[in-house]
Amino acid sequence: MLDIRRISTNRWWNKKNNWGLFIFLLFLFFVRISKGSLYKDFYYLISKPFWPGQFQREVLTKSVEQEFLIRLKQLEKDNKRLREILSLQRSSDSESISANVISRKNGSFWRQIILNKGAKDGVEIGNFVVGPGGLLGRVDNTSLFTSTVKLLTSPESKVGVWVERIQMHGLLVGSGNDYPKVIFYNKDIDIKVGDFVLSSPASTLLPPNIPIGIIQSVDEGFKAKKTANILLSGKPQAIDWVQILKVEI
Amino acid sequence: MGNYFKSKISLISFLFIPIVYFWDPNWLEFLGVQPYWPLFWLLPWSMTYGSFNGSIIGLFLGLILDSLSINSSLTQIPGLVLCGIWFGKFSISNNFVGHFRFGLICSIASFFCGSLYFFQILIKYWSDYTIFLYLPSIKNIFAQVFITGLLAPLFCSLLFRLFQASKGRDKLI
Repeated sequence: MLDIRRISTNRWWNKKNNWGLFIFLLFLFFVRISKGSLYKDFYYLISKPFWPGQFQREVLTKSVEQEFLIRLKQLEKDNKRLREILSLQRSSDSESISANVISRKNGSFWRQIILNKGAKDGVEIGNFVVGPGGLLGRVDNTSLFTSTVKLLTSPESKVGVWVERIQMHGLLVGSGNDYPKVIFYNKDIDIKVGDFVLSSPASTLLPPNIPIGIIQSVDEGFKAKKTANILLSGKPQAIDWVQILKVEI
Repeated sequence: MGNYFKSKISLISFLFIPIVYFWDPNWLEFLGVQPYWPLFWLLPWSMTYGSFNGSIIGLFLGLILDSLSINSSLTQIPGLVLCGIWFGKFSISNNFVGHFRFGLICSIASFFCGSLYFFQILIKYWSDYTIFLYLPSIKNIFAQVFITGLLAPLFCSLLFRLFQASKGRDKLI
């Protein structure tokens, strides 16, 4: 009888510590499966008093002017082309949500920002995010109160772009620093430093002609490809307010 | 209440790692790169509780940090588990690890974890343009090694003392 009792008390499920560990492990798996949404919402609540104010304009004026210049040039061209066509095929219906950057990881391999608007506010995975200057990235996942944005500089980011001057398409890939690269699959194209880079009209993920940046340097052609470094016009390291755009492409 | 808090200090401090990960204070960065925060917690914890517990906590930390980062197909678990095992080998009694040696150990561990993560990126996204990742990634790894090593003596010493004080009161695992 005593032996049975001893064996019974020695079973792992009769030990309080093991149950605690088991529950803790379950909690961790829940965090993993929910992509940390519980933590992100908790962070949303505790960081609320420290959200930035609205006095960043002086810092960002330059980026805004750059964006307006790119937009203006592009609108002029669009206007001219549409006048020639005489009938507009489709108008884009966009809805924007203003959001605040509550967390920013902009170094090393993890390049993401967390915004204070989530599924509750209608943010969906795949919505794209613009700030003063232009495109910043796309919403990669959402929790109830927050959404996580994969920045264009992330090594996982790939976006179709085009250079509007020569109307050539390319692929923008993040390289883990602040200067992503554009790969053009044509060695002989005539790209120049200072050319504007916009989102590609052929992209199925993004609306066309959103300003992305300016070509900073051009590398020599290699294996029928040409690459260029891009200076992004939107600066994720300085921006505290962004717009999440929901656009029918 | 005070005693309870002291006995659970390791668990409470563990829950704050993701908060620091989110907060990511930019005044603590070097060349735009932050220290590898989980090592500051893992080193003193593994030294206090041993290799096995270190590996388990490395797994837990990896699970949480993976769930918070967008790179869903890449993982930090192997690096942190192996570091947990390695850190547990450092004995406390022979005083091998002085305060400033925390920095050296964390630097090596940061290099190991960063390289492991970089190799995953290379394997997963292997193509012609992965060559663009080499230089920025090497810069990121070494900047992280430097800043982690620089701050480790401060954070690790503090946490090590806290864990030593709480060890007698309660065992987490």
